[in-house]
Amino acid sequence: MTVPALGKAVSIRSLDKSYGATKALNGVSLEIAAGEFCTLLGASGSGKTTLLKTIAGFENYDTGAILIGGTDIGPVPVSKRNIGMVFQNYALFPHMSVRRNVAFGLEMRRLTKAEITSRVEEALALVDLTAYAERLPRQLSGGQQQRVALARALVIKPDILLMDEPLGALDKNLRQSIQLELKRLHAAVGATVVYVTHDQEEALFLSDRIALMDKGRIVQAASPRDLYDRPANRFVAGFLGECNFIPTPTGTVAVRPEKLRVGSQANDCNQVFEARLLSVIFIGRGYRLILELEGIEITVLTETSDEIAALRTNGLVRMGFRKEDIIATE
Amino acid sequence: MTMIARHAEPGRRAAWHGFPVWLGLLPFALVLAILFAVPVFSLLRLAFGEGGFTLAHFQRMVDVPVYRSVLGTTLGIAALVTLLAVLASYPLAYVMATVGPRMRSLLLLLVLLPFWTSALVRTTAWIILLQSNGVVNKLLMGSGLTSSPIAFIYNLSGVLIGMTHVLMPFIVLPLYAAFRNLELSTVQAAESLGAGPLTIFARIILPLTAPGVVAGSMIVFMNAIGFYLTPALMGGPGQTMIAQMIASNINTDLNWPFAAALATVLLVATISMLVLFQRFFGLERLIESGGGKAGEPFTVTSRGRSPGGWATVAAAGLVAAFLIAPIIIVFPMSLGSSPFLSFPPESYSLTWYANFFSTSKWVAALTRSLQIAGVVVVSSVVLGTLAALGVSRMRPRWRAAVETIFILPMIVPVIILAVGLYYLLAPTGLVGSIWGVALGHVVLATPYVFITVRAALKSFDGNLELAALGLGASWPTMFRRVMLPGIAPGIAAGAIFAFITSFDDVVIALFLTNIRSRTLPKLMYEGVAHEIDPTIIAASCLIILVTILVLGANLLVSKRT
Ligand SMILES: Nc1ncnc2c1ncn2[C@@H]1O[C@H](COP(=O)(O)OP(=O)(O)OP(=O)(O)O)[C@@H](O)[C@H]1O
Ligand SMILES: [Mg+2]
Repeated sequence: MTVPALGKAVSIRSLDKSYGATKALNGVSLEIAAGEFCTLLGASGSGKTTLLKTIAGFENYDTGAILIGGTDIGPVPVSKRNIGMVFQNYALFPHMSVRRNVAFGLEMRRLTKAEITSRVEEALALVDLTAYAERLPRQLSGGQQQRVALARALVIKPDILLMDEPLGALDKNLRQSIQLELKRLHAAVGATVVYVTHDQEEALFLSDRIALMDKGRIVQAASPRDLYDRPANRFVAGFLGECNFIPTPTGTVAVRPEKLRVGSQANDCNQVFEARLLSVIFIGRGYRLILELEGIEITVLTETSDEIAALRTNGLVRMGFRKEDIIATE
Repeated sequence: MTMIARHAEPGRRAAWHGFPVWLGLLPFALVLAILFAVPVFSLLRLAFGEGGFTLAHFQRMVDVPVYRSVLGTTLGIAALVTLLAVLASYPLAYVMATVGPRMRSLLLLLVLLPFWTSALVRTTAWIILLQSNGVVNKLLMGSGLTSSPIAFIYNLSGVLIGMTHVLMPFIVLPLYAAFRNLELSTVQAAESLGAGPLTIFARIILPLTAPGVVAGSMIVFMNAIGFYLTPALMGGPGQTMIAQMIASNINTDLNWPFAAALATVLLVATISMLVLFQRFFGLERLIESGGGKAGEPFTVTSRGRSPGGWATVAAAGLVAAFLIAPIIIVFPMSLGSSPFLSFPPESYSLTWYANFFSTSKWVAALTRSLQIAGVVVVSSVVLGTLAALGVSRMRPRWRAAVETIFILPMIVPVIILAVGLYYLLAPTGLVGSIWGVALGHVVLATPYVFITVRAALKSFDGNLELAALGLGASWPTMFRRVMLPGIAPGIAAGAIFAFITSFDDVVIALFLTNIRSRTLPKLMYEGVAHEIDPTIIAASCLIILVTILVLGANLLVSKRT
């Protein structure tokens, strides 16, 4: 399982799909490089699952094309696409042991018994489940089931690995440890991954590239850093991380909370305002301040300082930002 | 009230004026003891020798080739019917799970209609369809597919057709539930791993639907071994089953002990199946089907059906036609005017309905059937509701056992009850009046009321009862004002099942009525066994109409609440 860059490139070209009157996909185009970890991020109903299912072949699309490794897979049935899929509810076969689940895809490929056995062992070792091989899925915890699903999808050496909110059903601690695991596995296996989530932290942590979706369109596709620092528009800025939209004489500007400065620190700012302080919340490594400016709530994150600690709610405070910290303007 | 209060459980608060368990259980228990246990045990005693213990009658069953072959035939036919029902159920259940809600309700209706149509009516309809100058043969010969009529009935195929037709719902329904419990993503996972349609069926769908199918198959088999009417009317001499052998030993050979021994074998076989079923699935499965689960259920996505899927739809279409054909064919035929059955009739009239209502033997039989059904509905509603109330407040420890005993009359083949009651009641003079049959029907029908009221009580919120009692209501007042309105739909459904059970019964009537007290189904049976005259078809349609009316009324009642 350590062969590098097994994955193939995916090219999605102006894909359209409607469910009756709903346009679930509206001219979606996306290029995913071989071995890339690409995340589809977006609010509920934005079309993430639909895009994933059309790539897998579970749903038809109306117009457009999907190419995997340069070949149009439109006419290829699901069972011949060599795609690994991890479902949100894992979709393990409830009547088969962990070992049989993982072996299933290899049996379909008519490998020899010996090869199946050795590859299943390898895959189980990869996700650290060797000791659980003979159990039935219902005898496993959620996290273990998740890893079985992963092993089952990876063992067939898929051209691409599709995952639809695979961590959605897990609690926060477990989710973080599996995120680490996923990152490690991706580095080790080198598969092309298309990953769906609506958790932005997860997307930022895992992805080489994030495609932000809204109402069936891809709004912006870029690396996590670029998406955060150079959002293409206000929607992206507001979706990814916290963002203040501050009314200025020249129009509304977007500034991240950690880039706003308060009190004496506002002295070297390009623009300074007087805002009313609504509340001061201690959050350990610093303070979260809620200000009000022209009826709009503004959030500021600052480091701990005596000056901030001395601020009184309902009083006026100076608040400002520097020109280069503006991330988007409309 | 004071007497009732004394029997309340000591642990409860003094304000608790409970309903005593014994008052609920006793009436039906007495009825079962006298009208079910006594006749069945008398048969057992007969079978093992009244004077001294003997196995001679059982020995004879093994020694005489005719009897051996009847036992073999019974098991063989039951197995074949089970197999056919499973084969026919898969495409239908698959289609039911993958079509829209309207089509699904329609298919459900198709499955349930034969189930609710009197056995006699169904059988009559099949005979009209399949006999040598029947509808199917005329169509086949008219289209030139065959030159001489095919013998569909009075042989094995007739028995298989008739029995599969009525027993299929027992497999279709659990199978459909299993398909609905199957998650779409499980099937898609297999697909993405490279499995084609056949592999998915063999390795995913088959194993995951197997428990439902096995449960259904056991019920079908258990029912099939006791069948009397269908093999008697649609089979030939080679298809004589054990129930017919019991009847002929009583009616023609007058060999009671041997008939009792045969009945014992049938009883033991049925009870063994029941015990097996109980072990593997639990009896609740007979009473109610299991709850839902998360995840998108198995269905067809925007890709549409594969060629195999369409082939399955076609197969399901054939099965649906098979289910509905006999029932829709009788209506146009009953409206014909010629005394010779033909389809479609050359001219339409109400002649045969007029004939039905102007012939005194038909009118008398109809009146008698309705009278009996009335008595049965009233008695079984009272007995069944009391029993359900009693069981619902029993200690859990004995509850399952009592529940099993209370639904036994549904499970034990009717022929055994009929023969046993005949043996018990013959000396009393009740045979030949409507009361003998009515007693038999009460035993058969009360379990249905018990089950429906029991289900209604389970979903009735016990806190309402405690709240009413806490507000100072006595138990009878609480029952009348709070509980009764809550469980009324269950009682109504039970009453309908009781009505249909009584109104459709032939087997009990065959033994417990004579020419002066025969019911409508018995009169029809005599006609069908002899020669079908069109009045019988009109009578069949009337029975179907009454059934549909009654079921429709139930639907209205349950919709309103
Ligand atoms: N089978 C279907 N039939 C009809 N409409 C559908 C179907 N599946 C999805 N839709 C619609 O298509 C749109 C996109 O749905 P999709 O499931 O792709 O959203 P999503 O981004 O995955 O959302 P979530 O985060 O809630 O999973 C939604 O408006 C949804 O209602
Ligand atoms: Mg989704």
